[in-house]
Amino acid sequence: MEIKIKGLTKVFPGDIKKGRKDAIAVHDLDVDVKDGELIGLLGPSGCGKSTTLYMIAGLLEPTSGEIWFGDDEVTHLSPEKRGIGLVFQNYALYPHMTVYKNICFPLTNLRVEEPEKDFDAEGYALIVKLVKDYAKIIKVINASNLNGKINEAGAVNALCETYKISKYVAAKLYKFNFVGAADPKALSEEIAKEYQDKLNNEIAKQKNKGKTINDKFVLLTDGKPNVIRRKLTKDEMDALIREAARIVQISDFLDRKPSELSGGQQQRVAIARALVKKPKVLLLDEPLSNLDARLRIQTREEIRRIQQDTGITTIFVTHDQEEAMSICDDIVVMKLGEEQQIDKPQQVYKDPKNLFVAKFLGTPPINVFNGVIKNNAIYVGDNKIITSKKKLPDGEVYVGIRPEGFMVSKDEKAKEGEITLNVNEVLTMGRDLMLVCSNKEFIGEKIKIIIDSDVEAKVGATNLKLRENKVYVFYKKTEERIYF
Amino acid sequence: MKNPSISTRLNLIIPGKQKDIRSTEKRDRVLKAIAMIILYAILIIAAIGILLPFYYMIIASFMSEAELKLGSSFWPMQGNFFENISYNYTETLSRFNYFKYVGNTLIVGLLTTVGQMFITIISAFAFGRLKFKGRDTLFAIFLATMMIPGEMMVITNYTTMSNLGLIGLQTTGLQSFTAMILPFLTSVFYIYLLRENFRQIPNELYLAAKVDGKSDWNYLWKVMVPLSMPTLITIFILGIIGSWNAYVWPKLVVSNQDYYLVSVALRGATLQLEERPDTFVTQTSWVMASTVLVTLPLLILFIIFRKYIMRGVGRAGIKG
Amino acid sequence: MESKNNWKAWLYLAPVLILMSIFTFYPLINTFFISFLKNFDYRSGANSGFTFDNYGIVLGITEKVAGIPESKVTEFVQYALPNTFLVTFITVPISIILSLLIAIGINNVKWFKKGLQTIFFMPYVTNIIAVGMVFSVIFGDNGIFNFIFGLSGTKWVTESASWQNSMTILCLYIIWSALPYKILIFSSGLQNIDKQYYDAAKIDGSNKWKTTMKITIPLLSPQILYIMITSFIGAFKEYNAVVGLFNRNYTDSGNVHDLTTVVYYIYQQLEGNNPQMHIAAAGAVILFAIIMVFTFVQMRVSKKRVHY
Repeated sequence: MEIKIKGLTKVFPGDIKKGRKDAIAVHDLDVDVKDGELIGLLGPSGCGKSTTLYMIAGLLEPTSGEIWFGDDEVTHLSPEKRGIGLVFQNYALYPHMTVYKNICFPLTNLRVEEPEKDFDAEGYALIVKLVKDYAKIIKVINASNLNGKINEAGAVNALCETYKISKYVAAKLYKFNFVGAADPKALSEEIAKEYQDKLNNEIAKQKNKGKTINDKFVLLTDGKPNVIRRKLTKDEMDALIREAARIVQISDFLDRKPSELSGGQQQRVAIARALVKKPKVLLLDEPLSNLDARLRIQTREEIRRIQQDTGITTIFVTHDQEEAMSICDDIVVMKLGEEQQIDKPQQVYKDPKNLFVAKFLGTPPINVFNGVIKNNAIYVGDNKIITSKKKLPDGEVYVGIRPEGFMVSKDEKAKEGEITLNVNEVLTMGRDLMLVCSNKEFIGEKIKIIIDSDVEAKVGATNLKLRENKVYVFYKKTEERIYF
Repeated sequence: MKNPSISTRLNLIIPGKQKDIRSTEKRDRVLKAIAMIILYAILIIAAIGILLPFYYMIIASFMSEAELKLGSSFWPMQGNFFENISYNYTETLSRFNYFKYVGNTLIVGLLTTVGQMFITIISAFAFGRLKFKGRDTLFAIFLATMMIPGEMMVITNYTTMSNLGLIGLQTTGLQSFTAMILPFLTSVFYIYLLRENFRQIPNELYLAAKVDGKSDWNYLWKVMVPLSMPTLITIFILGIIGSWNAYVWPKLVVSNQDYYLVSVALRGATLQLEERPDTFVTQTSWVMASTVLVTLPLLILFIIFRKYIMRGVGRAGIKG
Repeated sequence: MESKNNWKAWLYLAPVLILMSIFTFYPLINTFFISFLKNFDYRSGANSGFTFDNYGIVLGITEKVAGIPESKVTEFVQYALPNTFLVTFITVPISIILSLLIAIGINNVKWFKKGLQTIFFMPYVTNIIAVGMVFSVIFGDNGIFNFIFGLSGTKWVTESASWQNSMTILCLYIIWSALPYKILIFSSGLQNIDKQYYDAAKIDGSNKWKTTMKITIPLLSPQILYIMITSFIGAFKEYNAVVGLFNRNYTDSGNVHDLTTVVYYIYQQLEGNNPQMHIAAAGAVILFAIIMVFTFVQMRVSKKRVHY
C-alpha cells in the first residue's frame, strides 16, 4: 500500500487564559512511501514524529493537509476503518487477557467475505482424513512428552504445528486417545466411520434445504455459490493467531498474561497483534526505546526481517539515529515539526542538507568549527580547508568534519586541505584510535577523531589531512549546506 | 497434510467500511453525533432525577400549606412569594429549635472530628512510618473490622455507656455529649486514608530529619501533617458531615431533648398548627422547611469543598 | 533502632488501641456472648444462664413466653428478613448497573463533566432521613408524583399503602441515595485506565460499545467487586431510609410489620423501658453471619473474573 502525505500540519491550540500560545507540532510535511518500504521518522523529542504517526493512524485529527493510502484519501477516516496495525511505545497489551486473546481481539472485529461454506462438513471430512494415519498421530503425541509425561497442552501444540490445524481440532484428536487405545487400528476405523456418517448426515441435511456441497465445501444453491459476510470461525482465528505468533516467535507463550512476560516478549506480542489482521500499513511508535541495549539490536533486526517477509509498508518512529540508519529504506529527519531531509540512510549521512541533519546522524557526532569564506575559499582559523569551484559570497560559516574524515599528515606546516589540531589524548579502541583534540575555532568541548590504529599519533599540535568528502560547510545564518 | 496458507485464502473485510471513503466518513460522523445526543439526553434525564427531590424540598417550603396539600404545582403560585417564605420559616423556627440543635451538632461534630484527627494522625504515623513487629497483621485486623456491621457493636456500647452513667433522662450536657462522641473517636477508614498519604511522603525526608536530630513527634507535626493537608481537610469535612447526619447512635443514647442532634430533632419535631380548635395538623410545608434547614448547610459545604470530599471518598475505590 | 521503634509505636497506637478495644473488639465479643444469655439485664449484668433460645426467638422457632405458642415472634423471619433480602437483591444490581452506565457516560462526554459529577454526588452529603421525608411528601397521597402521572389518591407511603407500593418507593429511594458513592468510585476507577488501551482498541477495529464491554469493564473489575461487596453490606443494613420515608410508629396495629428490615428489627428491641439486649444481640449476630456468608461467596465467585 502506497502512502502519500501532503502538506500535513498539526497545530495544538493554545489557551489564552493560561497564556499558552498555539503549538505547531507538525508543519507542512510531505512524505511519499512506496509500497513495501520501511521508512523511519527520525528526530529528537518534540520534533513531531509521534504526532505525525498518530495522524497517519487516525488517532489525531490533522489541522490541515492530506493523507492518502493508495487511492483513498483517509485524512479524516476513523482509525478503526483504516486497516492499519500500530505498535505502541508501551505496547498497550490488554492486561486482563492472555497473549492468545490479545492477538485474537483484532480478528473479532473483522469479517470475511466469501461464498458460504459448510464448516461442519469440512470439519467432519478433516477428521476422517486425519484419523486414517493414526500411527503418525500417536508418534507426534508421544514425541511431545515433557520429561516422559504427556500433557494435553503440549500434545495439542505439537499436533497443531505438525498438521497445521486449529487447536480445537487438535484437542479432538488428542481426546480420541489413540495413545492409550488397545487397538488403535480398530479405533481409527470406528472414528472414521462415525465422522463419515456425520458428514453424510450433514450433506443430506443441506440437500433437504435445496443446497449441495462441492468439493471445497462451498454451499451451492442451484449450482451457484452465495457470497456472504461472516465472522471468522474459531478455527480460522486460531490459524491466523498461530501464524502471527510464529512470525514473531512467541508460540510458546500464548497462554500467558502480559504481566508474566519480559519487555522484549511483550513487544513481540504487540507486533503480532498488529500484524494478525493482515494490515496494509504497519506503524511502530519508538518500538525499541523500552528495551535494553543488547535486545535493541536483536529486535531491530527482527523487525526488519518481519517486514521483509510480509512485505507490509511500514513506518516507524525513533530518536535513535543508529537504529534508523541500520534498517530503514528511507529516513525522514524531522526537527520542530518540519522535515529536514528525506533520503536513503547513506545519503542522509553522506549528504546532509543542513547542519541539524549533519549533527544528528553519526556516532561519534560530527565536529563543527567556526569558519569563514574568503575569496572563494573556506578557512578554519588559519587553515585553508577547501577551495570552491563555484563562486561563493564572503561570509561566516560552520564547517563540519566527520570523525573519520581525518588522516595524520606528515607535513610540518599545514597545507591546503589540512587542519591543525592540538591532540590532547590518544585512546586505543582496538581497531581504531580515537584522538581527543582541541582547536580554537571548535564549537563544543572535545573534538573526536577516529583514525586507523596502525597510524602513529602523539599528543601535541598535529596537522591532519582532511578527506574532502567528509567535510561539510554550512551558512552560519541559515545552517543550509553549501555545495561547491 | 498442509493446508494452503489460510491468510492468503481469507478475504478480510473491515465491517462498516463502504467502498467510498467519503460515505464511510459521513456515516461515521452521523452515527457519532446521534450517539452523543442520546448519551447527553440520558445523562440529563438522570441528573434531573437526582436533583428533583432537592428542588421540590426547597419549593415546597416556599408554598402555602393549602397549595402544598393540593400537590399540583411546581412553583408557588398562590399567595405572596416572600410572605409565604417568611411565614413558613418563622413558624418552623419557633417550633423547631434549630439553632440550639445546630449548636449541639457543631459542638459534638467539632469535638469528635478534632479528636478523630488527632488519633488518626498518630495512628497513621505508627502504621505508615514506624516499623514494629506485628504492624501489618494489626493493620489487617483493623481493616477487617470495617466489614463488621455497626449493629454488632452498638448493643454493647449502649450497655457500656449506661454503666458509665452517661445515659438516662437526668444527664447533663457533658455526659450526653461524651456518650455521643466517645465511641466514634476512632475511624479505621480515616486512618487508612491518611496512612496511604503518609506512605507517599519520601523516606528521605524522614531520614534527613533524623540526622538533624529531630524527634519523631516533631517530624510528624512539623513535616508530615503540613504535607498531608489536603487529606486532612478531607477527613475533617467528612467527619463534620458524618456528625451532622448522625441519627442512630445519638437517638439511642440521648433522651434529653435539650441535647438532641439536628437529625434526631428533625425526625421528632412536631411542626403542627392548630388549624381548628384543638385540632393539631402537621404542616407539611413547615416539615419541608425544616428539612431545608437541615440539608442546606451541608450542600453549601459540599459545593465549597467539593474537591476535597470527592477526592477523599474516591480514593477508597482505587485501592479497591 | 528496631526495638526502640517498637515501644514508641505502641505508644502512638495507645489511644486508638484503647478506644478500639473498648468500643470495637470488646463489644464484638460481648455482643456475641450476650446473644447466648437468657434474660439479660444490661444494667446489672444479671442473667439466667446460657441458652440458644434467643436465636430461637428471633427466628420464630422458640416461644417468647414459655408455654404460650402464640408468643412466638415471627416478625423477623416473616417480615424483616424477607424484606431485607428483597430490598438488597433489587437495589444492589439496579444501582450498580445504573451507576456503571452513568459513570461510563460521564467519562465519554466532553463538556460539563465536572458539573455532572457534582450533581450526581449530591445525595451523598445529604441527610438520608431528611430527604426521605421529602420523598414521602413527593409520593404522598396528593403529592406531586401522583399529580404528574394522574394517579391521584394512590397511596405510596402513607399508613394504609399496600406493601408493594411502599416497597417500590423504598427501593427507589435507596437506589437514589446509593448512586453517588458508586458513581464516584467507578468514575475514579475509569480515570485510572490508561488512555492507550482505548487507542489500541480503536486500532484493533473495536467500536465504542465493544470496547466498553471487552476492555473497560474488565479493567474496572476490582472496583466493581468492591462496590458489589460494600453495596450488599450497605443495603442489607438499611435503616435510615426506612425511618425517613415512613414516619410510622410500628407499635401501632395495621400493616405494621410490612416494612421492617433486619436492622430496624434490632433497634426495635432496644426501644422502650425494657430493652431486650439479648434478643437484639442474637439478631445482630445473625445479621453478621449472613453478611459474612454472602461476602465470602461473592469473593469466591469473582476470583476468576476480577483482574488486577
